[in-house]
Amino acid sequence: MDKNKHLESVISTHQITKEKTLFDKYVKKKNEVKEALEENYGSDLYYPFNSGSYAKNTAINTKFDFDLVSPFKRNAFGSNGTLKEMYEDVYYFLYEKYKDVAEVKKQKVSIGLEFYADSDGDVIKIDVVPGRELSQDQYREDENLNLYVYYKYGNIDAGSERIKTNVKAQINNIKDRATAEKDSIRKIIRLLKVWKNTKYIYPTKSFFLELITIKAFDSKSITGSIWDKLETVLQYIRDNVTKESFTQKDPGNSSNDLADTLTSTEKQQLSDDMKNMLERIEENDENLKTYFPENTKFKKEDTNNNQYGKNSGMPIPPPKLNFG
Amino acid sequence: MILKIEKIGLSLEVEDELLNKLLEIGKTHYPKEFGGFLIGYYSENNMHLHITDTILPKKYQASKYNFERSTKGIENELVEFYAENLRKIYIGEWHTHPDNSPIPSATDISAINTIINSKKTSIANPVLLIIGCSNTTVDFGFYVWFENKLYKYE
Repeated sequence: MDKNKHLESVISTHQITKEKTLFDKYVKKKNEVKEALEENYGSDLYYPFNSGSYAKNTAINTKFDFDLVSPFKRNAFGSNGTLKEMYEDVYYFLYEKYKDVAEVKKQKVSIGLEFYADSDGDVIKIDVVPGRELSQDQYREDENLNLYVYYKYGNIDAGSERIKTNVKAQINNIKDRATAEKDSIRKIIRLLKVWKNTKYIYPTKSFFLELITIKAFDSKSITGSIWDKLETVLQYIRDNVTKESFTQKDPGNSSNDLADTLTSTEKQQLSDDMKNMLERIEENDENLKTYFPENTKFKKEDTNNNQYGKNSGMPIPPPKLNFG
Repeated sequence: MILKIEKIGLSLEVEDELLNKLLEIGKTHYPKEFGGFLIGYYSENNMHLHITDTILPKKYQASKYNFERSTKGIENELVEFYAENLRKIYIGEWHTHPDNSPIPSATDISAINTIINSKKTSIANPVLLIIGCSNTTVDFGFYVWFENKLYKYE
């Protein structure tokens, strides 16, 4: 099996442009939710924006991540209002608004809206991430936000913690690298997302996989074919994520260690999964197809059987050749 | 990068590092042409070609519009590549077109014909890489000879 050819096919069959109709539905729904929030909260809310994988140029077409970050003003919930009150208020607003057409769920730092299947059977999922500026009008200056942690998030305890971060800096950091290094970083991130998507529920967030991929590229020289690069990144994660000294700096706030978004058990699971994957692929190339499946919906069957001519023995170039 | 010819379904892969290396070498000879031998291997199903290396000629003559290379002195390198696990072989040629586009000239087509008609060469589908370069621009053109026709990879 040609591993590189397969991986290139995995990437091309997962291109977001191949699911234009579904993608357009997501954009439309995201805009509807955004407008509903703006209408309800008025001037208490700055401009909500999408921070999902599409915004970061790392999207795949089997799972659109649409995260609608909603930046609130400091006093939006009263001068003594808490982050918990912000989170609950947004939850109840979305629940009342969408309870008949969607499942509305409290999640780690977001509120999940899962709209019931439409006539095409498509299910649209939008995550709303409420955040609040640290002090009145400060968001305009530096775009920093406090997020509320609804339930235990790795080593970050529920309720007791707030995450201060700059979501726009997070997006730009990944987007810039994924765009500039599209044959390496972007492809590897997309492949890791395809792998993560083969699992029903997985504790490692896509955001973490994006950042650890970038860290791997920054930590060592990663070159060669697409398989060579993927293998090196898998080895890097396997060997480093469980180290006591391993940290993953949040591009939105260097004081945050995103390694804390995983418990030590979850880190061990991630490392073990990388180890197993590498060993099974080493045993048999074909196992690559299980971990990194093509999107069969868009798989093009080869329509011709043309081949490069087979050579017998070592070809010797003609002794003299002239080019113009 | 991976390039393909949709019409015939053949593809090739070449690392950016190798392309940059060829470009840098070509630039050192600017404004004269320069080139060399392309080394690589075919996939198991023979539908995909991976270009991995180059061998530079030890003897050559060059002007702005002409480049003639000899195989003298490269034999050992060919043998060493062939001895590798992947059995890397000579799969084609590259050369520069200083201040010009990477479009094959009549001389280039004639060279391709010499390759396919050489019994010792035994490759039916030689690849030709032309690097069109000036002080400010670079353009790579990859071609393969297939069933009596030269196809460009896109």
